[in-house]
Amino acid sequence: MTGKSSTERRAIDALNASMTQVFEAAGAEFIEPDIIQPADVFLERSGEHIRSRTYVFTDPSGAQLCLRPDLTVPACRYHLEQEADPASVARYCYAGKAFRHSRDTGNTSLREFDQVGLELFGGANTAQDDAEALALTLSALKAAEVSAYSIQLGDLGLFSALLASIDMPERWRTRLKRQFWRPRAFRDLINQLTGRTEKARTSISDLLDEMANSTLDAVSFVERHLDNNDLEMIAGRSIEQVAGRLSEKLLDRSEPAMSGDHARLIDDYLSIRAAPLQAIEKLKQLGSETDGDFASAVGLFEARVAEIENAGLQTGDMEFAAVFGRSLEYYTGFVFQIDRPLAGGASETIAGGGRYDTMLKDIGADVTIPAVGCAIYASRLLPDSGAAS
Amino acid sequence: MSGNLTLALPSKGRLRESAEAMFSRAGFDIVRTGSARGYRGEVKGLSGIDVAFLSASEIAQSLRDGTVDLGVTGEDLLRETIAPDEPVADVMLRLGFGPADVVIAVPECWLDVAFVSDLDQVAAEFYESHGRRLRVATKYLALTRRFFADNGVTGYRIVESLGATEGAPASGSAEIIVDITTTGSTLKANRLKILDDGLILRSEAVLAARQAIAARPVVQNLRDRLELAI
Repeated sequence: MTGKSSTERRAIDALNASMTQVFEAAGAEFIEPDIIQPADVFLERSGEHIRSRTYVFTDPSGAQLCLRPDLTVPACRYHLEQEADPASVARYCYAGKAFRHSRDTGNTSLREFDQVGLELFGGANTAQDDAEALALTLSALKAAEVSAYSIQLGDLGLFSALLASIDMPERWRTRLKRQFWRPRAFRDLINQLTGRTEKARTSISDLLDEMANSTLDAVSFVERHLDNNDLEMIAGRSIEQVAGRLSEKLLDRSEPAMSGDHARLIDDYLSIRAAPLQAIEKLKQLGSETDGDFASAVGLFEARVAEIENAGLQTGDMEFAAVFGRSLEYYTGFVFQIDRPLAGGASETIAGGGRYDTMLKDIGADVTIPAVGCAIYASRLLPDSGAAS
Repeated sequence: MSGNLTLALPSKGRLRESAEAMFSRAGFDIVRTGSARGYRGEVKGLSGIDVAFLSASEIAQSLRDGTVDLGVTGEDLLRETIAPDEPVADVMLRLGFGPADVVIAVPECWLDVAFVSDLDQVAAEFYESHGRRLRVATKYLALTRRFFADNGVTGYRIVESLGATEGAPASGSAEIIVDITTTGSTLKANRLKILDDGLILRSEAVLAARQAIAARPVVQNLRDRLELAI
């Protein structure tokens, strides 16, 4: 395949237009973010798994550029450049090519594919905006005449709130949150925190022994150790950061283990997988054992489900899973994914989205700006695309 | 062209000497055909196999492309070029020479870092203080990605390094490295330390074959004779 025929081109154009019209009718401005993007601003925000599939190149002036592997970051950059007040409410939609390297070099439609999307910036009503992003995604799919699919929901805010409600050192929360995505590492960490795994000696155990017996404060201890060993602090870290993490390791040695009840509470939360209304009940049963933060996160979840129903959607067929989240790394709250069945029991993702409230500030806004959006893999919606993948 | 298979052997260095010595012990003398400095040859006493002399990294790539059928190269280069789950070419025999470990090494001054899990936390801290990701200098792009993905390290990016990787942390072009080491002395000289669980691959020279021809009698015969010469 070296391109699209006139018929194929018309089909994808019509498909894209059917979906962007839905977004435009909802007040979104139809934009075309640049295809060629500065590599750094983009790649620093994606994980290595996207980076390894991004086409990066150097132009004759020496600038590091890339072909956009996704349109969300380009839309964010467009917004920050165009809007005098980036915190004001704005809505954008787009339909365009995204580019990702694929091992299957014989099928070029895998490396340049059409993505249609919507981004809602600066909205003040979290639950309502979350629900609208989902509802508009489903309306767009309906306009594209896609009907058989399954919807999965998640909420990254619930897990953080649950941890905040359980009494434990902040450093444990940070570590648990980082391991949330990796079931095996998460299990290891829980076992370690609950004292179920024996602590083995490591290459820095001697140093920690020495530190425990030292009368110096942590920073002075590290300074002296570096001096004695003729070491300089390099590679972008400060003596304070190294001393801080050593102190935490020392604290962990004497910290009482996490209680079995707390570990069970975390397990019970992570095992929740149910339709949204049933999930609310299960969350509340957990919540009765905890306090404030988690209760208000459950409140937001409940309000969002109510808004989804208000938007005229049936939530009975949707599934909430506590462990569900997208691996794009920048989501901060509500997440959703829409899959459709393929022949032979397999399925493929046709759309996904969620809330990413830290992105705009991360790439240059002065303040935190709420953001929620979706991306639809339009190329997969063409009538003959299902069998090919 | 005859219907012969092509065996790629290292064209230079210790890998070449060790490989040719082992073939000799197995009763196969390698002779160069054409001019003495030629890059083609044959295995005396083994018909049906032509020899091509290539650099070790070219051998891995040629196995992948299918321009050679068999090759002697480092397992590190083979795994970097062909993922374990790709049905292209695989190890037939580990040859017992050319040992080298592919490891993750960090600056010795990072006193608080002993494990890959520490690295993940440091990467998060690094992003918070600098607004960019921890950089890993390496020539092993694929091995590094696979290992970090398996071990849940996400907040990093790879800086491709084509030589003197161990100098990257000191020169400021990266914070940590993934590289090969045999004795660890180069790492030590550069004030780097290997993480407790930072062994990515214990590599040595291997005989590798493309899957399509691995079962042929001439290939099996070569493998069996080499095995006795290890």
